[in-house]
Amino acid sequence: MIPVFRGDIPLQAQVKECGDYDIIIIGCGITGATIARELSRYKARTAVLERASDIPFGASRANSSMIHGGFDDEPGTAKAKFCPKGNRMYHSLSEELDFKLREFGSFVCAKGGQDERHLEMLYDQGKANGALGIEIVSGDKFREKEPNTASDITAALWCSSGAIVNNFEAALAFIENARQNGVDLFMETEVTGLLFDETRSAMRGVSTNRGNFNAPVVINASGVYADVISRMAGDDGFIIHPTRGEYFIFDRSVGDLVTSFLFSCPSEYGKGVTVTHTADDNLLIGPTSVQQTDRENRNTTPMGLDEAFDGARRLVPGIPRNMVITTFSGVRANTNTGDFYIKALDSPRGFINVAGIKSPGFTSAPAIAEHIGELIKDSLGDVVKLENDPAFVPTRKHIPRFIDLPMKERDRLASGDSRWGQIVCRCESVTEAQVVEAIRRGARTVAGVKLWVRPGTGRCQGGFCAPRVVEILARELGTSPLEITRHGGDSHMLTGRTKDPLLPGEPL
Amino acid sequence: MSAALTQREVDVAVIGGGPAGVAAAFAARKEGAAKVVVFERDWEAGGILQQCIHPGFGLHTFGEELTGPEYMDRYLKLARESGVEFDLNTMVFQMDPPTLEGSGKQASFWTMNPQRGIERVKAKSVVLAMGCRERPAGALGIAGSRPAGVYTAGTAQRFVNMEGFMPGKKVVIMGTGDIGLIMARRMMLEGAEVVAVFEIMPWVSGLRRNIAQCLDDFGIPYYLEYNVCELHGKDRLEGVSVVQIDKNRKPVDGTLRFVGCDTLLLAVGLIPENELSKMAGLKLDSSTNGPVVNEFLQTSEECIFAAGNVVVVYDLVDFVSQQGERAGRSAALYAMRKLEKGPRDFQVETSPEIRVISPQKLSGGEDVTLFLRVAQPVEGRCRLYADPGIYSQNLRYARPGEMNEVKVSAEKLRALPSDVNSIKIGLEVL
Repeated sequence: MIPVFRGDIPLQAQVKECGDYDIIIIGCGITGATIARELSRYKARTAVLERASDIPFGASRANSSMIHGGFDDEPGTAKAKFCPKGNRMYHSLSEELDFKLREFGSFVCAKGGQDERHLEMLYDQGKANGALGIEIVSGDKFREKEPNTASDITAALWCSSGAIVNNFEAALAFIENARQNGVDLFMETEVTGLLFDETRSAMRGVSTNRGNFNAPVVINASGVYADVISRMAGDDGFIIHPTRGEYFIFDRSVGDLVTSFLFSCPSEYGKGVTVTHTADDNLLIGPTSVQQTDRENRNTTPMGLDEAFDGARRLVPGIPRNMVITTFSGVRANTNTGDFYIKALDSPRGFINVAGIKSPGFTSAPAIAEHIGELIKDSLGDVVKLENDPAFVPTRKHIPRFIDLPMKERDRLASGDSRWGQIVCRCESVTEAQVVEAIRRGARTVAGVKLWVRPGTGRCQGGFCAPRVVEILARELGTSPLEITRHGGDSHMLTGRTKDPLLPGEPL
Repeated sequence: MSAALTQREVDVAVIGGGPAGVAAAFAARKEGAAKVVVFERDWEAGGILQQCIHPGFGLHTFGEELTGPEYMDRYLKLARESGVEFDLNTMVFQMDPPTLEGSGKQASFWTMNPQRGIERVKAKSVVLAMGCRERPAGALGIAGSRPAGVYTAGTAQRFVNMEGFMPGKKVVIMGTGDIGLIMARRMMLEGAEVVAVFEIMPWVSGLRRNIAQCLDDFGIPYYLEYNVCELHGKDRLEGVSVVQIDKNRKPVDGTLRFVGCDTLLLAVGLIPENELSKMAGLKLDSSTNGPVVNEFLQTSEECIFAAGNVVVVYDLVDFVSQQGERAGRSAALYAMRKLEKGPRDFQVETSPEIRVISPQKLSGGEDVTLFLRVAQPVEGRCRLYADPGIYSQNLRYARPGEMNEVKVSAEKLRALPSDVNSIKIGLEVL
């Protein structure tokens, strides 16, 4: 079984069953992680329950990693309220919490009159929402900055506050800082039911595959399962429509085809595929948008991939298909209401829905988290007292990214600890020290290590480093390589040992 | 960069300690270069041959059938005895564009080693011998889920032959590249079930002898013009969908079927590992994916040479070593300022029947063997030629899996009329 994590308690002592808390957060996607970090400012005892083996898992793992400016949402909606605020918060949070954010800016690309009217509408919306740094530019001006784009783009909406994050790092940063400030995180812990008081008018906790967790406040940040959990509490005010989006990621060598984030205008071809230069200098294209009933189906399809590729080529015609590193898909928690569904129930008291946090959910999350803190203070003050914790430390450091370090710093690290001098992943220059530190901080699977420090994200896709990562995981966790999984569950990397070269009893 | 970092100077630096690099280093010493150092990122030299424990190596070079490690051992012994230095566990992670130094150019690059940290190396000449890597699953855009159990054949080979672990029990292999065929046999010998091999092309991409020895001898079926189109399974692979494809690579209706397996091994192509070549600013050939070289295996930067699978993916290691020796000799001569290029400047051009060729440039300085692969099999008599009129040979067949050689003498090249500036290599069916 994979251990769960509790604050800064050493690994071996981290397995813990259940407990009593003030607040339980269901789900450790970006929504749960940002709320956990926000609540870690206070003395309240908070636990986060995550069913997956690695963070981030759901839509927070597989998305466009965009920090939106805030012009795309109709004024008056929750999205329009939280997105521009979240955008502003990210710029400082990335420094406080040391996750990669790059201020590349974004363009919405128009092709002809109808699209240009759409840009004007977005511009007006942006102004109304308080989006920063927006401006409509001509096609030629746009191509000066993005020379590899299609010649039939006639105008573009520039948004200088648009940014790209490493979404894995961001989610990990929030939850790690929360844990440093006393929040407990329980992995592979799936909520199976809710616990109420006798009259069903107040929350008492949740039941899980690990037993019961008691708390008078339960925050539902369970992504694509949010409506299922909400219905357990008696609120059926929204329905999740799981919506799958497929993506391509391309080799760093073509990352420079664009220098910012490009949106298409909605058209007969769909809501619009985006093309972006990622925080780690790859090229990312996608997503498609396919509504499905299955909450788990993260398959890619030939049709979906072709749609994403064709859509991207309408923006950047020269994208070479032979430079694809990999393809993936994510399932977003769209709702029938079209907006975020953020609501504290009157009964059972203590249940808070933070649901339907789809695009621009990643951007909005820190602003929503702040709002949840206020909401608890305002309406649940009698149940949980949110008293400032003077010991709160707002900053944390990510594991040093060897590939980005100056030569002198690399030498300093490598000279002090030979593990810094040992490259594990050749494509992304990831050292053994980084892998070991990722495991110390909570990575338990090959995918988990990849989310933390990127071995296997490069062009060989783990061809060279996977055996090394398996070996280091087994060594650091004190287990056999046969126990190591790709992403938890039964996803074992290896199935057994080879035949023994010696006959039984034969001496070496 | 910082002056505080250690600086080293060598005469010939060889990057990569596989068959090409070791042969190059040996030849460089033999030619008279003083300080020849092999930089190898693994803890031992030998490259991918260390995990190729099957026989079949060295028939051309040593006249006997050796395993990969045995073959490598012979070359390593020669190299060590000749005074080659090995810098193991040392990764070259950055290469600078060469700079002018006196009458010629000089290369410089950066290494990292767990004991010595980062060092900057200046070399009078360099031989690039980084080999190649396998095309991974992600690049193919196979639809479906992302379960455990999908490996390139080489990764599986490492697990089985080096680490002693089995990557799976019931195996499907996609592609007929040689490592895939070798691993089909290996997995069978280790007690796994190999269900089938599927190849998207209408022909086998590996060596015929491997089809016979690794598939036929073990009763493993292989299917041409079949694509593995979807992966199934949430945690561990549970099976793959395969479909027959037509001449336009479109699925044939009614042929889609599910094949149960817990492991998919990929042998769908090798890509020369040219990250350092790009950093050095070398001109690359878009068909080989390796640097453009001349008969001295000299790249577009005169102090940088290249050999082996980093230049073009070879079929036999003997050729890799042979080319390594040529590059090593040339690099030594360059380091001693004795390399004399020929008087001419020919571009090697090819007919559409030829898919890749190397070298791509000839100066008439030295007799040379051009290595090429045909674009598709010709099962019958054909003629391989180099025009204008410098080479012609009849062949019984020509197959993409097996390289062909064109031997061109420097003398003949030099004698060509002065208005001829390209050599055309072609294949005609007889």
